[in-house]
Amino acid sequence: MSVRVNNLTFSYKNFSLHVDALSFEVSKVTAIVGPNGAGKTTLLKCIGAVLPIEKKSLFINGKDIALMRSQERAKHISYVPQEHESAFNYLVRDFVLMGRVAYVSPFALPSREDIRAADKAIEFVGLTSYSGRYYSELSSGERRLVLIARALAQQSDILLLDEPTTFLDPKHETEILELIRKLALEKQKTILVTLHSLEMAFRYSDYMVFMKKGGVVASGKPGDVFHEPLLKSVYDMEMKIIEWNDRKIVLR
Amino acid sequence: MTFKDSLDRTVTIPPKIERILSLQPEITRIIVALGAGDRLVGLDYFLRHDDHLFRIIYPQESRLPVVSKPDDSVNKELVVRLDPDVVFASPSEFQAPDSIQRSLGIPVIALSSLGHFDKLLGEIALVGAVTGLEARAQELVAFFQEKIRPLSEHAASVPPEKRPRVYLAFWSSLTRTPVFYEPVNSAGGINLAENLLPSSLGSVQTVVTLEQIIKWDPDIILIQGNFLPNERMVMVKQVLEDHRLSSVKAVKSKQVFYTFGFWYWWDPAEVLVETLYLARMFYPEKFGRLDLAKEGEEIFTKFYRQDGAFSALWKLLNLHEWTRQ
Amino acid sequence: MSGQDSKKTQLIFLFFLLLPFLLFVFSLSIGTYPISPRGLIRTLLSAFSPSSFPDIPSAYRDILIRIRLPRLLLGLAAGAALSVSGASLQALFKNPLVNEYILGISSGSAFGAAISIVFLGRAFPSQIAAFLFAVAAVAAVLFIAGSAESHFISLLLTGVIVSAFFSALLSLVMFFASPYALQALFFWLMGSLSLASWKDLAISFPLMLAGLVLLLLLRWRMNVLSMSDEEARALGINVRREKMLVIGATTLITSAATAVAGIIGWVGLIVPHLVRLMVGADNRKVIPLSAAAGASFLLIADDITRGISPLEIPIGIFTSIIGIPLFIFLLKKTRKVWL
Repeated sequence: MSVRVNNLTFSYKNFSLHVDALSFEVSKVTAIVGPNGAGKTTLLKCIGAVLPIEKKSLFINGKDIALMRSQERAKHISYVPQEHESAFNYLVRDFVLMGRVAYVSPFALPSREDIRAADKAIEFVGLTSYSGRYYSELSSGERRLVLIARALAQQSDILLLDEPTTFLDPKHETEILELIRKLALEKQKTILVTLHSLEMAFRYSDYMVFMKKGGVVASGKPGDVFHEPLLKSVYDMEMKIIEWNDRKIVLR
Repeated sequence: MTFKDSLDRTVTIPPKIERILSLQPEITRIIVALGAGDRLVGLDYFLRHDDHLFRIIYPQESRLPVVSKPDDSVNKELVVRLDPDVVFASPSEFQAPDSIQRSLGIPVIALSSLGHFDKLLGEIALVGAVTGLEARAQELVAFFQEKIRPLSEHAASVPPEKRPRVYLAFWSSLTRTPVFYEPVNSAGGINLAENLLPSSLGSVQTVVTLEQIIKWDPDIILIQGNFLPNERMVMVKQVLEDHRLSSVKAVKSKQVFYTFGFWYWWDPAEVLVETLYLARMFYPEKFGRLDLAKEGEEIFTKFYRQDGAFSALWKLLNLHEWTRQ
Repeated sequence: MSGQDSKKTQLIFLFFLLLPFLLFVFSLSIGTYPISPRGLIRTLLSAFSPSSFPDIPSAYRDILIRIRLPRLLLGLAAGAALSVSGASLQALFKNPLVNEYILGISSGSAFGAAISIVFLGRAFPSQIAAFLFAVAAVAAVLFIAGSAESHFISLLLTGVIVSAFFSALLSLVMFFASPYALQALFFWLMGSLSLASWKDLAISFPLMLAGLVLLLLLRWRMNVLSMSDEEARALGINVRREKMLVIGATTLITSAATAVAGIIGWVGLIVPHLVRLMVGADNRKVIPLSAAAGASFLLIADDITRGISPLEIPIGIFTSIIGIPLFIFLLKKTRKVWL
């Protein structure tokens, strides 16, 4: 189970993304960090095939993602968007059930298996008692959990999460990050997550990728790369790192 | 002089009328019948483009400019340039008699007969007064009344239960029917749709359900035949073969015929011929000896002083088909 | 998960799935020509063996079998078609204010009917031209909007533009048409179930049925399609292909319905809304219920037009008169948010 990026490019309007080579640790959490506009979300969307990519840019187990049909690809990779806006209001269990669409043929209805898989995903994120509620009735933290549950229902090995902790209060932020770590440890998922919080990235990831202006400037284990000179070059700003226990705090 | 028009407007016109613009086909035909055709300065869109009869009864029409548009609205600038002394219009919103009168300062008289003979004859008298041709108008009115009298007298003598019950399928659809059509009444028939709408509405037509036609069970069905044969949307053959109507008396006894019907209002000569035609159809024992070709020729010559006009119409509309019983 | 809720939903389902059949039977007795329910039954039986029922006038048979039956079947089919079409497109465009005509079908088919009536007269049945131009309008929209994948808003906008274009062409044709041709057209523009015969139904009914079945099978998929295109793609569906499938099916059934019944407004907008207000947005429920509720709605509207007068009143008038207040009433009554 390997994920390898090879000369991935994507551009639109005034922005272009270019990543020469990148490998992701299997069953580990990789955090992608960087300033706004660095291309974190774009990179994630390219890997998730939400944005169209060139052939030979992304390989999963040696298979070219661009040559895969959507249905097959969704069984390997799932993508959790930052937000979900919808004109229609679905029940939580129906919402999560949609994650099973790759397993359901076009003219069929989800089977009992599919419903079971969806219910298990809801259970894993701890929202079983919310199953019969409407998505719009939930708080933002709970909604994020629902989005994650839907991605879990896809039963893919690779999970991509785009800024899952933005706008959440500290408690919910921690809950989600703990959940992500649990997914990597217990379910052996390979997780890519973009984070804006450097401290959280350091604390919860096994691997970090620093991006700036559409490219990767550094990557490695957090202990190896999380240093002031690197932070300064990435964020164009003086930063001070303070250690406390084995946590690192960034001061500006 | 002042006149009251169909919209109950009081219109004042100058004593001498030399230039007339008629946007109302019925009135145009009346003007020609009265002999004032040379005073016409313009024509409406329909008589030029859609009518097959007018150019036969008044070949000089080709010199006249067309003043109205296909949607019946009026080219006001052209009206001003033509400088008529009076304008005759339809009482419809498109021709907006008040608006024209107000903006152009030309008197506008709105007229339409809406299926009534008295109104038609009133129009002839009014136009006669406007053009100073009262004598000729009176002559035509008297002629019309003379021709109708034996028919309506006979009709009055027939008790209502014995009169043929007639359904009129006019315009382009089997279910569209006029709520008042005097030729049928004068000839001694009963227009089944006559009381469907309150007369205060002033509507000319309505659309009925097919079931209503079957419920009425007419003795005779008359289809509007004034369209050129290849333009007719409803045909006798089609009605006779329509299975939905197979229980209707008229269909079972093959009493489905063409009649003239409205044609951009009426042509006064044509409607007179039509009434005779219907009388002959409704009461063959009494009026069977009416020679339609001869009567038609006489009527058209009286009105339009043009030989062969009626036989030209006969050919155009395939009238020999109609009279084949 | 509340047990009461699911019980209520089941009852709603049962009610609406039975309703069209009940209404159908009831509607057979409505019409200008009075036939008693007993007369109805005997007429139906007499259709099989006329000799056993000599007292049944042939008018009864003509009316029941040649006039009311095809009309009611058209009402059921068109009602279902327009509602399901509206519901599907609402899901597709993620916009509950979209109606079944949004991609240009009403203007396209009106233009087709107009040029057929005005220029071809009785030589050519106007339904064919109406159908062809409806489909052409949608094809034009798809072509102009180009790759509609991530620009679904442009599909709507293009639909509005193409509609406007065909409307303008229609006005041009109507301007030059003789008033006699126009009369036939006006009736079609306001919508009426009286325009169709068995022959029309023989072609349009199977088309509507085929499209309805297709959309019914796709109903769960539509939940996914109602997500943003990005999410739908991430979840693993070929967004472009499945959208085309839905658009193709809805175009087929709406064009088939409109070609024979004219333009009947409000059905595809109001019925799905009512259904969602009752059972929520899950299309597994919304699509079949919209079909049943739409069929019932149109039948009720037609019953009213046929029952109150011997005049043939266009049905579009009643779908608005009943539909709009009903919509407002339900909107106020329920506090559930479906948006």
